[in-house]
Amino acid sequence: MNGRRRMIAAAGIFLLGSLIVSGVPEARVQETPPASVKPAAATAPGQETPAAPRPARERMAVYVLLAWVWLSIAVLFGLLRLRVREADRVFRMGFDRAAEKAPKGPGY
Amino acid sequence: MNVLRAWIEERLGLRAVALFLEKKEVPRHKHTFLYYTGSSILLFLAIQTVTGVLLAFYYQPTLAGANASIVRIMTEMPLGWLVRSVHSWSATFMIAIVFVHLLGIAFTKAYRKPREATWVTGILLLGASLAFGFTGYLLPWDELSLAATKVGTDLPKALPVVGAWLTLVMRAGEDVTGDTLSRFFIFHVSVLPLAVLAFLAVHLFLVQRHGMSVPLEEERKGVKGPVLPFWPNFAFREAGVWLVLLGLLMTIAVLAAPGIGPQADLMAPAPEGIKPEWYFLFMFQMLKLFPARVLGLNGELVAVLIMMAGMAALLLLPFIDNRPFERKGKVITALAWTGLAYAIGMSIWSLL
Amino acid sequence: MKLPYSLFSRRTFLNSLIGGWLAALGSAFISPLVKYIVPPTREPDQVSVPLADIKDMAPHTVKGFAWGNKPGLLKKAEGGSFIAFVGVCTHLDCNVSFVTEQRRFFCACHEGWYDENGLNIAGPPPAPLRRLAVSVEGDALIIKKQA
Repeated sequence: MNGRRRMIAAAGIFLLGSLIVSGVPEARVQETPPASVKPAAATAPGQETPAAPRPARERMAVYVLLAWVWLSIAVLFGLLRLRVREADRVFRMGFDRAAEKAPKGPGY
Repeated sequence: MNVLRAWIEERLGLRAVALFLEKKEVPRHKHTFLYYTGSSILLFLAIQTVTGVLLAFYYQPTLAGANASIVRIMTEMPLGWLVRSVHSWSATFMIAIVFVHLLGIAFTKAYRKPREATWVTGILLLGASLAFGFTGYLLPWDELSLAATKVGTDLPKALPVVGAWLTLVMRAGEDVTGDTLSRFFIFHVSVLPLAVLAFLAVHLFLVQRHGMSVPLEEERKGVKGPVLPFWPNFAFREAGVWLVLLGLLMTIAVLAAPGIGPQADLMAPAPEGIKPEWYFLFMFQMLKLFPARVLGLNGELVAVLIMMAGMAALLLLPFIDNRPFERKGKVITALAWTGLAYAIGMSIWSLL
Repeated sequence: MKLPYSLFSRRTFLNSLIGGWLAALGSAFISPLVKYIVPPTREPDQVSVPLADIKDMAPHTVKGFAWGNKPGLLKKAEGGSFIAFVGVCTHLDCNVSFVTEQRRFFCACHEGWYDENGLNIAGPPPAPLRRLAVSVEGDALIIKKQA
């Protein structure tokens, strides 16, 4: 297996791995909200209700989500760049327009 | 898969759309990046619609329930604070990009013939976007939004003849009450979305019909400049821009989620430090600075008339600037730059 | 075991990678929204009814109390003890009533009947009325979810 394939395989495993791993704190969040969010409801009048996620676990889950979002954007950006470079190359070579100019064989 | 595609094609005949997209070209020049602004607005509009519907699941547009329902969304609903934060920040992003889009088109004079109608529908869309922001701002029904709405709906009163009537219509009565809230809510979730859809349909059709406009230098060259095919070259680049915008939106929504103030009290005095959303700041500052009487007329009336004149000039710009690249056009460009500097300066001043 | 040829092209692999990762990113955006759509359950952990309100109840009578958003039914039994039910029919969620003369619970929607212990005896209800645990603490009756 040459270096390129190894890189792609590693990227694929990383994708699946981080997808699974990020699901774990998300799942844990579902159990905590009812217990830990209730005390927040009683705010004194005249006070502003802030909007930060209070339970510590939910906060961690949200930061993990954010990190996952940026990581995915970086990866997708790289893959998108491959596609854009290819599209530009194809355009410059005139592949798509060549079909119109191709000489037609006998019988056409 | 191909069987499915053939089935759909036989009935819907979408091949025409696909062919059009294949042929569509995007000109390449130093201002090509401006072409990304239009679709970015669409992205944020879509996000607004989705998050807006979700918020409307739990929001109660009544005097008693509005503030409490938003507090409930933020504290009890799972990730409700995030949905609200995304809705709030996406509104800011969308209007910011609307302004960039407007400025890009105005300064490259893309509104010149034959794109006047595109410009007019665009200004109508701008008006609808600002109306979205204005009506949405009242919905949390906290002290700040009540005060801002009172001021905003008071403005038409300065106009002669129709002013008082307009304010009555906007407020659903003499004062800002629960009826005002209902009226603003229905505008925000029903009337304005329908209006935007209608304007957008015409705007997008016109854009596709006329194609992308090029800056004057390119047009003057006479020959067709370098282009990018829309699909897939430009579209994939656009996808990249969208990804970054989404990432920025998520980050700022998480790190700077807005809170909500205490419920508005209709009898209480105005709180200190009231201000409207950032896109109205320059008008807010102008009203603050205008003297009570100008040339024997009511100061506020003069200010409102100047603002209305500005809006009319903006709407009819392609018809006013009918010779965009001659002296008249250059004068108008200079005026536009002054206007922009004024708006930015006033906005910053209002924050000091 | 090494294959003589690849099962899919490099292009297909990259396409799947893009698609898959895009789906994963999409799910990162969609999952908060999906969570948001389902509000947390709103049944209370416990409800307390002051003894003063119920000491005058005759045996085999029923008094209502609020169990979150649902009606709760408190029934005084023969010896002075109490049983508590969630007054929601197990068929299709209509609220049930207590017919004192017959000492039975009746659901008007589809004519379901429950006996005085909540057991479903006639009509469509598939299961008995849900029971809640009752205990006395100080000067109030504490009604909790049954463990």
